[in-house]
Amino acid sequence: MSILEIKNVTSGYGEVQILWGMNISPEEGKLTCLVGGNGVGKTTLLRTIMGLNRTWQGSITFGGQDITHSPAYAKADLGLVLVPEGRQLFTDMTVQENLEIGATNQRAHGKYQQNLERVFALFPRLKERAVQKAGTLSGGEQQMVAVGRGIMADPRLLMIDELSLGLAPVLTLQLFETLRQLRKEGLTIVLVEQNVQMALAVGDYAYVIAEGKSEMEGPAHKLMNDSHVRETYLGL
Amino acid sequence: MNPGGILTSLMDGLLIGVVYGIAAMGLTLIWGVMRVINLAHGAIISLGMFGVYLIFTNFGIHPYLALLLVALAGLLFGMLIYYITIARVINAPYLSTLLATFAINMIFIGLGTAVFTTTPRDAGFSLGNVSLGPVTLQGTRLVAALVTLLVTGGLYFFLYRTRPGKFVRAVANNRAAAELMGIPSARILALSFGIGTMLAAIAGGLIATFFSFNILSGDIYQQKSFIIGVLGGLGNPVGALLGGLILGALEGLLPLVMPNTWVPVIEFVLFIVILLVRPSGLLGGKSE
Repeated sequence: MSILEIKNVTSGYGEVQILWGMNISPEEGKLTCLVGGNGVGKTTLLRTIMGLNRTWQGSITFGGQDITHSPAYAKADLGLVLVPEGRQLFTDMTVQENLEIGATNQRAHGKYQQNLERVFALFPRLKERAVQKAGTLSGGEQQMVAVGRGIMADPRLLMIDELSLGLAPVLTLQLFETLRQLRKEGLTIVLVEQNVQMALAVGDYAYVIAEGKSEMEGPAHKLMNDSHVRETYLGL
Repeated sequence: MNPGGILTSLMDGLLIGVVYGIAAMGLTLIWGVMRVINLAHGAIISLGMFGVYLIFTNFGIHPYLALLLVALAGLLFGMLIYYITIARVINAPYLSTLLATFAINMIFIGLGTAVFTTTPRDAGFSLGNVSLGPVTLQGTRLVAALVTLLVTGGLYFFLYRTRPGKFVRAVANNRAAAELMGIPSARILALSFGIGTMLAAIAGGLIATFFSFNILSGDIYQQKSFIIGVLGGLGNPVGALLGGLILGALEGLLPLVMPNTWVPVIEFVLFIVILLVRPSGLLGGKSE
């Protein structure tokens, strides 16, 4: 069953239209990848789902509820959580405070302790860095805080925009391992990722995005082995 | 010049400097959280003065109790100002918010002049003097400094130890990310503007316990707030207190060696020098 349904969504910035009728519907309990070149509208789609960009046309349904025009801050209460591109940490606040703010929404507030232990188990490094300002951490550690903050929000659906961008290969592997583990624990995940090979390797299902539309979809391993898809859309 | 006199001048300056500090703290908080330069700050300071004065002289309520009412009114009034005006231009370029707050300032000054005229008012309130060795200090100034330190401590407790306070810091740091985490940033901005306004009103109320004033008086303290903000680093509350102390010390000591009218000249020369040499303020802080 799809937890999120995006139907014919159009959106953009000012006069510039980026999304031209987007249709995706990630399944509950699955890891869904959105792949495609730069500037095809993946980040814009995630921002539009969260309400940071206005939906021009079309509809967005989450868990059966129409959220097309609900404000960004109301989405977290429903369990719809985004780990944004470029991490967007509270750099002047400590790691612990970042995680605390992650647990702001109504669902997560009561599960603070439980989720904190979960995050520290996934990223022991963060426990050591708890009282340090997030802005002073390395890029990899900052990405851990970003994912950790997302988990603190106790998501029903966790969307991650560029997990590995700018990170060393070792850290990339480690974060993908974490992702695999979260998926195994039953978390529903939508992943936008520039490292297409790795994304399709961990993903269950994938959409190929091109020119602001979902051009093609299918099981992740199938898309990865489809030579037409590889050449035309993924540049592999 | 006797050392007792110099020490008294310095102490007087420092005590008043702390009060400048709290006025600057309001300005710097609003800038730090929402990048708005609040040109209505001075008018709010004046209204704080009138608030304490009117409650005291009309109802005989003790000025420090009146201050509590004025602080609360300042908080609510600030939030109202935010929703009515600032919220509509918050995402526009700086010039729009600057002009919006300037307009608010002119409205308050205009109304205040019409209602209260510009005749100086004096609360005629005194707590006597306190003598420590060669130094004699006015009781009202001593209490004002204590109240300010208390309020500063309270502000820190709020920002670093309470949930809404952490929301304020989160919104100041990254508004979009705060929204994503479920923080209704518009409400937090309104609260922050309310707190900034409250600090201005408290500063005004305290000043009214020892200086005479009229509706235009707040403007001077707004100018000082800018100097202090730049000294301590805009967006940095502790810096504001430190900047206030520096300015206060200058105002205590400079008149001993030069005519009083030169003091603002020196202050604004300092302002420009700091802007040129250390634009992020003495304590760092946020600058843009």
